[in-house]
Amino acid sequence: MREVNTKEVFPKNSNKTYGLMELVKGTKPTVGLQPDDMVFTWPHLLIRELVLFVVVAGLLLVAAFLFDAPLEEVANPNHPPNPAKAPWYFLGLQELVSYSAFAGGVLIPTLIVVALILIPFIDRKRIGVGVWFAKQRAFANGLFFTFLLVMLVLIIIGTFFRGPNWDFVVPWE
Amino acid sequence: MPITAEMRETARGKMHAESFSSRFKVFWKNVYRSLFRYGRMPRDAEGQSYAVFNNLFLHIHPVKVSKHSLKFTYTLGLGVIATILFLILTFTGIWLMFYYFPSATEAYNRMLDLRSSVDFGFVLRNVHKWAAEAMVAVVILHMARVFFTGAYKPPREFNWIVGVILLLLTLMLSFTGYLLPWDQLAFWAITVGTSIASYAPVLGEPLRKFLLGGDTVGQEALVRFYVLHVVILPGLMSIFIAIHFWRIRKDSGLSHPNENGSSARGGAT
Ligand code: HEM
Repeated sequence: MREVNTKEVFPKNSNKTYGLMELVKGTKPTVGLQPDDMVFTWPHLLIRELVLFVVVAGLLLVAAFLFDAPLEEVANPNHPPNPAKAPWYFLGLQELVSYSAFAGGVLIPTLIVVALILIPFIDRKRIGVGVWFAKQRAFANGLFFTFLLVMLVLIIIGTFFRGPNWDFVVPWE
Repeated sequence: MPITAEMRETARGKMHAESFSSRFKVFWKNVYRSLFRYGRMPRDAEGQSYAVFNNLFLHIHPVKVSKHSLKFTYTLGLGVIATILFLILTFTGIWLMFYYFPSATEAYNRMLDLRSSVDFGFVLRNVHKWAAEAMVAVVILHMARVFFTGAYKPPREFNWIVGVILLLLTLMLSFTGYLLPWDQLAFWAITVGTSIASYAPVLGEPLRKFLLGGDTVGQEALVRFYVLHVVILPGLMSIFIAIHFWRIRKDSGLSHPNENGSSARGGAT
């Protein structure tokens, strides 16, 4: 009869309430990483987080002393300002609303959210991951960049180039 | 090195003989060790692992991370900055709640108080305001970073979706906060914003009425926006940020150029 190896590869450690149960074959993103690529969170990551915190908090304090948050007259339902503007991040949509309320206010925002959710299910090929602007991803990146650029331009128009009655104005005049 | 029962016994024995200050030292050491089991500044691999592993707040992190994920030029620190801004906003927001009153007649006066009679009230309000504006921008930039590095691809599809939810929550938090000062800017921005919602077919008008608690922006709307802004949305935000971080770990850390295989399943790290 063949002798079965009874010696465990990873002997039980009585100090632990858990143990190694089995080894499985499989792959996950860390499989490609060499141990040399890994460093301890303490201190390498934590010190970076701390530095970022100090920088962000410092910049905010400086900004808070230099620039006051806007505060206008008390709200008056009888005196609408002209134009009444939404917060800056919605001014792109408000600009679109000025062409078509339904398209700018409902259709396009809905499409944007649906498209964002679908992105990772449409573009699944795992190439060009982990680097900025990978050549293999030029098309996808170009598309997304165009989208961001269009939103930015619309926001700039809505913020600076729209005056009373949402007419076109030039900010430096 | 963990304290053994034996060492505690000797410590107790010594206490009878020794001075108050040495007793206090032992007492202090016992208190400290009950809080931090593994000493002060960890200097070796074991200590560094335990420092992260045994602390609830640090345990959000894995014990080890890849060098690539630490490169500032890769993430630009944007996700971490968004998190920091959220923490600062929570802190200053709760502080502001001591002074704020969600009443159409009182809210604006409280804004004036923050400028004139509350010590450093203007700093408090300004930090909250600028952090809020920055957070919207930083979250959008973080999304752009994730896209341009292809970091949404499998196995990270779900975390991208969690991210989209975080983006929407960020926008809603900012928007609901916008009304609270109850000045002209606030009132009309929300009037414009909510009237856009009513263009949606079928659901639009009921949604607007539900948000405003009536037909126009008034006291009811102010209370609803307040509750959304200080309880419901920050609560949801905290839950989804927790899921976001949990998923980063289940997806084996940040995206990496040497990732292999297409059948990645993720797993504990
Ligand atoms: C409140 C908003 C958000 C917070 C606090 C947040 C926080 C973070 C943090 C701290 C990281 C670690 C890496 C880094 O710092 O870049 C991260 C990674 C990630 N985030 Fe976010 N995030 C937010 C919004 C978003 C949005 C809007 C998206 C996309 C639509 C997104 C998708 C992702 C993905 C896919 C990763 C993994 C990236 C990788 O593996 O390289 N997050 N997030």
